[in-house]
Amino acid sequence: MTPTSFDRLFDEEYARVAAIARRVLGDPAAAEDVAQEVFLDLHRRFGDNPGAKAPAWARTAAAHTALNLIRTNRRRAVREERFAPTPSLSNDPEASVEAAETTRAVRAALGRIPRRQATVLALRYSGLSYAEIASSLGIGVNAVGTRLRRAEARLRKEVGDASV
Amino acid sequence: MHPSDGTLRRSLDEPVAVDPARREHIARCARCAERVQRMGADATWVQAMLTSSDRAVDVPSARARLAGTEIATPEGVRARGSTGRLRSRNTLARRVMAGVAVAGVASVVLVATGGAQDFLSLFQPSQLAPVPVTAADVRSLAGLASYGTVTGGSSIAFLPEPDAAAAGAAAGLAAPVVAELPAGTPAPKYAVVSGGVVTFTFNADLARTAAARAGGQLPAMPSGLDGSMLSVSIAPAVVVSYGVDPAALLNGEGVPSGIAFIVVDTRTPTVSSTGVTARQLEDYLLSVPGIPTGVASEIRAIGNPSQTIAVPIPVDLATGSSVTINGARGLLIGDSTGLGSAVVWQHNGVVYAIAGTLTTNQVLGIARSTH
Repeated sequence: MTPTSFDRLFDEEYARVAAIARRVLGDPAAAEDVAQEVFLDLHRRFGDNPGAKAPAWARTAAAHTALNLIRTNRRRAVREERFAPTPSLSNDPEASVEAAETTRAVRAALGRIPRRQATVLALRYSGLSYAEIASSLGIGVNAVGTRLRRAEARLRKEVGDASV
Repeated sequence: MHPSDGTLRRSLDEPVAVDPARREHIARCARCAERVQRMGADATWVQAMLTSSDRAVDVPSARARLAGTEIATPEGVRARGSTGRLRSRNTLARRVMAGVAVAGVASVVLVATGGAQDFLSLFQPSQLAPVPVTAADVRSLAGLASYGTVTGGSSIAFLPEPDAAAAGAAAGLAAPVVAELPAGTPAPKYAVVSGGVVTFTFNADLARTAAARAGGQLPAMPSGLDGSMLSVSIAPAVVVSYGVDPAALLNGEGVPSGIAFIVVDTRTPTVSSTGVTARQLEDYLLSVPGIPTGVASEIRAIGNPSQTIAVPIPVDLATGSSVTINGARGLLIGDSTGLGSAVVWQHNGVVYAIAGTLTTNQVLGIARSTH
């Protein structure tokens, strides 16, 4: 049987969609859950031939779905167990615990900052170019840098304020 | 007029997308440099914070899982999502499974990154460790050639190959594989840089003349130094390029716009000598008039030249720092203007290098998913 355009879209975009969710959740397994949900929803909305706008939709949906998970605390307990600590060169258990706490604080902060800022962070730090982010968010490419800059400063301030 | 925050921020990630006039302003303006530095610090912090334990995504398995989320019932087909949601869909399982059968397995993405010029500089015998150098230092070090003769460099050839397998076969070393490519990365091209032996032969007469030109005298020569040879054996290297033609780069052409990088791997070069030890020859060359004192002491601190590769880092253009790439020590060379980055590391006798129009975060991300 010939693969449909949905099949091709899945092959081309699945890894990227999972990567976007992973940036938000910090947990590969939870991110793949989100990616599965995104593609189920995508098929329900667009069918076998999703069209040219589907990739942008899927990427943004990945960020939004992952952010929703954080914001609604739907899977809080699982997530907190799964959150991987920031990679560290140290074998110091105390340092690892501290890194895990920081990671949790950052994800919580992602849920508190404006959604459009959190979304641009998820898209950019999963590797999308400015042009791809602009396409996904329906904004001009020149606005991406501005939004990204504000988001980075806001996230850092949010985490800093929360840790005081 | 100073560029906007958005333009400055983009200059960190996609410098070639920024108007050249604005790039030049950014490079020259102290106020903008300070803003860029602050933005870069925030970006680096966010990058570190949003890093997670990456693992390769198995797309065929994911498709099978999506297909498995549908279950047949007497009323038709229901889809059950991974979190237990029920969804209506009557053809998804068939479509997805058919797709799996047709498409086969393609879960690992071959990626490559790197900088041809940085890569080749590893193998020049006058550049042997992580040593910060100024442009003036480079000119002085280049003057070492006037202390003898250099042969063999011109025999190193750049040979395009059709794919990773052919490149690996030609080089006798598997092409580097990168698990995660930046979004929008163009398709890879493969090539092999042939190996060879570059030899420097010390010539006392030439050295005396050069020392006199530099206003000094040669130090006392160890026995056997005149006519001694220092040879660097260079193994073939696999070069995987994205969005850039390394051959054009080597010809002095500029880097095209968009994502452009190369990934290189090669067996660790070996250094041998005749007449005196490589260490003796190195020590002597570093003591002759005209060699910058700071550079000489740093190169000496590297240790045995037969075991260490020196990578010169132009301090005017970039900064270098020690990094860990999947457990191996490496050297990260970050362009202070955000125009490019490179990383070099060794693992199990293989030297890897990645460079291109990338931020340091991007180049590290690629490196850590490369094997």
